[in-house]
Amino acid sequence: MKRILVIDDERIIRVSCERALIPEGYGVRSVSTGEEGLALIEKEPFDLILLDIKMPDMDGIEALKRIKERWPEMKVIMITGYGAVETAVKSLRLGAFNYIEKPFSPDTLLTAIKEALEVE
Amino acid sequence: MKRILLHPERSLAAKLIIAIGVLMLLGSFIFWYTLLWKQERDLIAIAVRYGDSFIEFIRKSTHHGMLTFNRPLIQETLENVSIAEGVKRVRIFDHKGKVFFSSRREDIGNFVDRASITLLANPQKWNVYRSEEKDRRLMVIGEIPNEPSCYTAACHIHPKEQKILGFIEADLSLAVLDKAQFRQGLALIGYVFIFTIMTSLSLGIILYKLVSKPVSHLVYGMERVTSGDLDYSVPVKTEDEIGMLTATFNSMVKEIRSAREQQERWTQMLEEEVAKKTEEIRKTQAGLIQTEKLASLGRMAAGVAHEINNPLTGIVTFAHLMLKRVPPQGEDAEDLKVIIEQADRCSRIIKNLLTFARATPSERAEVSINDVLSKTIYMVKNQEKFHNIKFNINMEEARFITQGDATQFQQIFLNMLINAADAMNERGTITIATRRIIVDDKPFVEIEITDTGCGIPEEVMARLFEPFFTTKPVGKGTGLGLAVSHGIVRHYGGQILVKSTVGKGTSFFVRLPLMG
Repeated sequence: MKRILVIDDERIIRVSCERALIPEGYGVRSVSTGEEGLALIEKEPFDLILLDIKMPDMDGIEALKRIKERWPEMKVIMITGYGAVETAVKSLRLGAFNYIEKPFSPDTLLTAIKEALEVE
Repeated sequence: MKRILLHPERSLAAKLIIAIGVLMLLGSFIFWYTLLWKQERDLIAIAVRYGDSFIEFIRKSTHHGMLTFNRPLIQETLENVSIAEGVKRVRIFDHKGKVFFSSRREDIGNFVDRASITLLANPQKWNVYRSEEKDRRLMVIGEIPNEPSCYTAACHIHPKEQKILGFIEADLSLAVLDKAQFRQGLALIGYVFIFTIMTSLSLGIILYKLVSKPVSHLVYGMERVTSGDLDYSVPVKTEDEIGMLTATFNSMVKEIRSAREQQERWTQMLEEEVAKKTEEIRKTQAGLIQTEKLASLGRMAAGVAHEINNPLTGIVTFAHLMLKRVPPQGEDAEDLKVIIEQADRCSRIIKNLLTFARATPSERAEVSINDVLSKTIYMVKNQEKFHNIKFNINMEEARFITQGDATQFQQIFLNMLINAADAMNERGTITIATRRIIVDDKPFVEIEITDTGCGIPEEVMARLFEPFFTTKPVGKGTGLGLAVSHGIVRHYGGQILVKSTVGKGTSFFVRLPLMG
């Protein structure tokens, strides 16, 4: 079973992801801050991280850097708002695999994840 | 006049009078002194001549007495002569200085003093001195020469070889002379003083008339002018220097007056300019405030938009999840689809809003306006909306290259064309024109889109570019089209202008700066 970690400060996003992914057979954990996320990745294995770009405390880019530093092979998909293209491009350069724009439908999410996990 | 006397340092006339007076006094004194001195010399010379002739007279008078050796006669002669007031003493003495005869009996037998001997040695044989009695005296000495009648006389006192027999000395008083001279001197001083005063006074009056009065007229005139009366001109009464000064002053005043008028004109012009500029600034400021308002509104909107994306995600997700659970063709499925559609619509609205609020452009490239416009027109011509609309295209033959995003510009033109069609109820003529214009010395391209629709009333005009403002019925318009267009155009340094007549039509003018 593939395990996915959702890092987003918004509860509705976390819940939406869980409800969209769990029925499809993914193991999902979600946290609200970058710190918690990093701590969790230390303890448990994950195949993919869903990371929100805009968060208070540690923001998405910072979290991405730290994850990639520690686990260079980790696949990260950024969650962005419309029009934050520059930040999205930046994250890609920093090693993110892809990004999806809010609001997204469950189908969009699943497609992106499938794509990411297929690539080795 | 009083002023002159009280403050001589403040008056030309007084100074001049004083100077002339002093000079005259000085000159007079020098003259007087020289005159009197000359006179003195002349008088002395006359006195000496008188003295000499007196000596001669004595010589002749005593000659007979000497010849006859009548000593008492000689003595008597001398005594008689000295009765006259001016003759102080007459005496006769020999080589050795022994006095033989004298008007003063006590002298006889004595020797003469130093003064007489010194005088003997003196070539001019006279001397003027001051006696113990304080009066001036003239002492004259003459020789008694030896003559044949003498040495052949019976007495045989003097031998033939003796050239000079003796000396006659006369001591004459010059008191009369001195007195007369003194009186004359006084009179002269008196005359000089009177003359000086009279001349000074006359000069004073003349100066006053010639200089002081005209000058004070001039001063009065100048005072009038300084206090502001530039129309006053001092009357020119003479042709001399004062007259010239006055005339020159008058023309100077004229100059000042015209300069003053010129200055006033300039000031007025300046004031008008300032008023104009102030108005301009005010307008620009109002424009800037408007732009700021829109910008901050945009920023706020962006913030809100981003916020809304989160709950939207939730709605979309859960609607989808439900959709999977219900029968595919049923009512529930349809209802859920509606929910999803509306959520999508929300998303589109937000996207539009975020485009409007974006600070950084998506693409800055070189755009050919005519090309973009042509493409847009081509796009709409085929649409049903535009089937009954006539197109009047008037694009200048030029490559209007501007900086910008082709897609965004297309969006703007499209939006305007759609607005035009709606305004005409999809029937009418749309005129599209492009032309080159100059704004503030810079080249711009102006794109005109004119419709023959219902026009825009005044109260709507003011709110035309307000975000979310629309006159369209609910659901038909977002009210963002023009706001977004305005933002884009302004971002690239252009402007959008509107002209409209209610009932006749509307024209939109999009101006963008040309490159190169």
